[in-house]
Amino acid sequence: MLRTFRWFASAATVAAGVTAVVLAQAPRVTFSDTRLDNGLRVIIAEDHSAPVFAVAVNYNVGSRDERQGRTGFAHLFEHMMFKGSEQVGPGEHFTLIFNNGGSMNGTTNKDRTLYYEVLPSNQLDLALFLEADRMWSLEITRENLDNQRNAVQEERRLGVDNQPYGHTSEVLDELAYDTFAYEHSVIGSMADLDAATVDDVKAFFRTYYAPNNAVLAIVGDVDTADTLAKVKHYFDRIKRQPAPPEVDMSEPAQTAERRRTLEDPLARLTRIDMAYKVPPGRSPDSEALTVLANILSSGRSSRLYEHVVREKQLASNVSAFKGESRGPGLFQFVGSLLPGKDVAALEQAIEAEIARVQNEPVADWEMEKARNSARRSFISGLGSSLNRAVLLSQYALFYDDPGRINTQADRIAAVTAADVQRVAKQYLVPSRRTVVITVPKAGGAGGGE
Amino acid sequence: MRARILSPGRVRVLVTAAVLTAVAGTGVELGARQQAASGQSTQANQGVVLKGRAPVSTEVLKVTLPKPRRATLPNGLDLMVLEDHRLPQVSFQIVIPGAGGYYDPPDRVGLSSIVAALMREGTTSRSSAEISEALETMAASVNVGAGASSGEATVSGSSLVESFGETFALAADVLLHPTFPDEEIARYRQRTQAQLVQLRTNPNFLASERFDHVIYGDHPGGRTFTTPETLAAVTRDLLVQTHKARFVPDHAIVAVAGDTTLEQVRALVEKALAGWTSAGTPEPATTDPAPMGPAHVHFVARPNSVQSNFIVGTQAISRTSPDYPVLEVMNAVIGGGPTGRLFTILREAKGYTYGAYSGLSAGKFRGDWQANTDVRTEVTEPALRDLLFEISRMRDELVPEQEFADKKRALIASFALSLESPASVLNRALTLWTYGLPADYWDTYPARIDAVTREQVQAAAKRYLDPARLQIVVVGDPVKAGPVLGTFGDVITYDTNGNRTGGGVDR
Repeated sequence: MLRTFRWFASAATVAAGVTAVVLAQAPRVTFSDTRLDNGLRVIIAEDHSAPVFAVAVNYNVGSRDERQGRTGFAHLFEHMMFKGSEQVGPGEHFTLIFNNGGSMNGTTNKDRTLYYEVLPSNQLDLALFLEADRMWSLEITRENLDNQRNAVQEERRLGVDNQPYGHTSEVLDELAYDTFAYEHSVIGSMADLDAATVDDVKAFFRTYYAPNNAVLAIVGDVDTADTLAKVKHYFDRIKRQPAPPEVDMSEPAQTAERRRTLEDPLARLTRIDMAYKVPPGRSPDSEALTVLANILSSGRSSRLYEHVVREKQLASNVSAFKGESRGPGLFQFVGSLLPGKDVAALEQAIEAEIARVQNEPVADWEMEKARNSARRSFISGLGSSLNRAVLLSQYALFYDDPGRINTQADRIAAVTAADVQRVAKQYLVPSRRTVVITVPKAGGAGGGE
Repeated sequence: MRARILSPGRVRVLVTAAVLTAVAGTGVELGARQQAASGQSTQANQGVVLKGRAPVSTEVLKVTLPKPRRATLPNGLDLMVLEDHRLPQVSFQIVIPGAGGYYDPPDRVGLSSIVAALMREGTTSRSSAEISEALETMAASVNVGAGASSGEATVSGSSLVESFGETFALAADVLLHPTFPDEEIARYRQRTQAQLVQLRTNPNFLASERFDHVIYGDHPGGRTFTTPETLAAVTRDLLVQTHKARFVPDHAIVAVAGDTTLEQVRALVEKALAGWTSAGTPEPATTDPAPMGPAHVHFVARPNSVQSNFIVGTQAISRTSPDYPVLEVMNAVIGGGPTGRLFTILREAKGYTYGAYSGLSAGKFRGDWQANTDVRTEVTEPALRDLLFEISRMRDELVPEQEFADKKRALIASFALSLESPASVLNRALTLWTYGLPADYWDTYPARIDAVTREQVQAAAKRYLDPARLQIVVVGDPVKAGPVLGTFGDVITYDTNGNRTGGGVDR
């Protein structure tokens, strides 16, 4: 029998050696993990702390699976998943969820496409029915495709073409990556969006939206056995499909720095973006890189804020981050130059901080900060059924390890100061670097400098 | 996704959905905001078709929000504690009415925001860096904020339960003993000047700035951001005086949610805020903005824009107006969320935009109602026409019964979701405290929404959405978008620096 997720802080406590403060023991997420005959992986985490549940359906397809000439297609397809299926009219999916007090969305990145809903606990059948119906069948018409093509093109204008620095990250990825999978943007090009056809949508659905290519996570005020029975009822008839083709994620070793300057008619101030190639998320070095980003850029006590923003006053903001990435990742820096300052000086200041972490010891408090940050983020995240559903499905999809939700903070805690220094030396080197400098273009909305 | 600690001064209900997230700005993540519909929309060209075959539970879960425990201290300070032991963490807010930008002198717009930002930059016993290091090592946070138009300043914080005492003590130090070092003022000034430059490149900022000015005129409700003049004029003495005069406990509250008790909070507050003495100041008052001038089209010329951003709206009501529930329902029908008519028509039927929404902003003084969207430049004219048509339809027609019932059910049923977050429940309680609403306000909310009639909504639309009072703000390309606007009214033009460049006769 499956156990209920323990939602209350455990009575057991541990003493922290250094400060002798009694640390609250984080609860653990308990879940069931089942595969249906058709290959659908079903994860259920029951808890009754609020009359709410979340459903996440995480499909193993992202923009990395797109082919040449169809950039932006995975995301355009995601929009089509709301335009109707056998039993559900166009737009009915979100109408029903919102009208019954829920919230929902869909989201696409390079590595996966995620759909989710959160609803009051009496609407479990509704959520499962809606997700199953669109995994079973999709009603695709030219009219609906054109409508969503327009919406997506507006999304591109809104997020990219009409924003200062909107093109910068596209240019950075194109320059940094050599392999098509990660080289192109999730939103895609206008021309490729124009080229997408109804047949493309049908073929994509058949290949990628199969039960054996998805993880379904249900978290919250549900009964595990009852929920599993309902899942079987709604999803069992959906047929397994041949596994999708493997994505070419090979990335040739970079041998020298790459650099480009970009003129932006909508910007008023110069910005620098630097990206260093780092290994995929499942690499044992990932956690040390996460700690490195924390030390460099998390909060006002971070090195970049303290030294580059406050002391040297070169930038209004500098951040460093490493996204979750199934394939070759990027460790990125973004700095917004203050008016009248020299972008070369900002670049040197960032490099000086990199050199310092490579060559000088990391302080104990910085390590403690990174550990506590991971623990806090885990505990805070438990407050949301949706967050738990997303993490369980994502860790299952990316690493075949949904239990990573419980161990991620421990993995961070296991990183040593020497690890941080080692990964900084190994990966933050010029030959792995791509630099894009975005400068205001005279005569644009920004008015130049 | 997570409930945000809202400043209770001007609470925007039924928030107009944000555009892309910060994550999307990096090109990594794209949200679909796949949302739409209305009850009567079985016609094909409406963008939404309801087949009615999905298994829906017709019940609405009856939800009773837990109520915080209350106390008042001798210095006038209120305490509110929502005990919630589900997770080992605590969040808190110290809300200080009278310390927000609403009360800044007219020639010092944004002064309060500067005071708030600099309070964390050094106290009599700790430097800025020491404060940050202490907090972040515990994975705790303390922030001070005061919006340019809001009545109050808020010191907010959160931490794991083991660090709550220390975090609260730091917050108290920041609240009571800031030193405003000259060096930090200079740094803040330089960073904020750069931000001011960046803001003027953002079309949403340009639209809101213009809209707020048109709706509120010189009333402090129309203030959007610190001005360069304030930034240049600010001195250490001015910050010290402003802090001393306005950060007083007389009308303030400490509100806490999480793994603690009223007794624990009371003991902490009595110790950490012992030096916070009553100043005897009267309760800060607000006034309504003057009625608006005649309706115009306000066009902000932003060269190279590939979209036109619209805000169409008007002055509306305060939070305590008896019309509030009626306007809540009216707004839900038009565009207060993803199932509204604006989204259904402008996106799902016409494909003009990625999103179209409306929102009601109501605080202590008369606030505003606004509809907004952004469309590709080529469809500026038809999109604005359709948007205005949806507003006129609210005045001219009764909302169909099914659509009306669906919207009311959505407002009531969504209560269940807020139970996941203690901070969100606490914020609902703070709303009652801020506006003096009755203690059973949320218990009776479903009945109040249920009682709103279609006729009331139509009457409210006729009264509040009168075309003679609807201001139209457009940000877009001067060559391609500007010329089509003349058909919508008398056009006044501005540049991206906020300067009026032409048109109009009476403003």
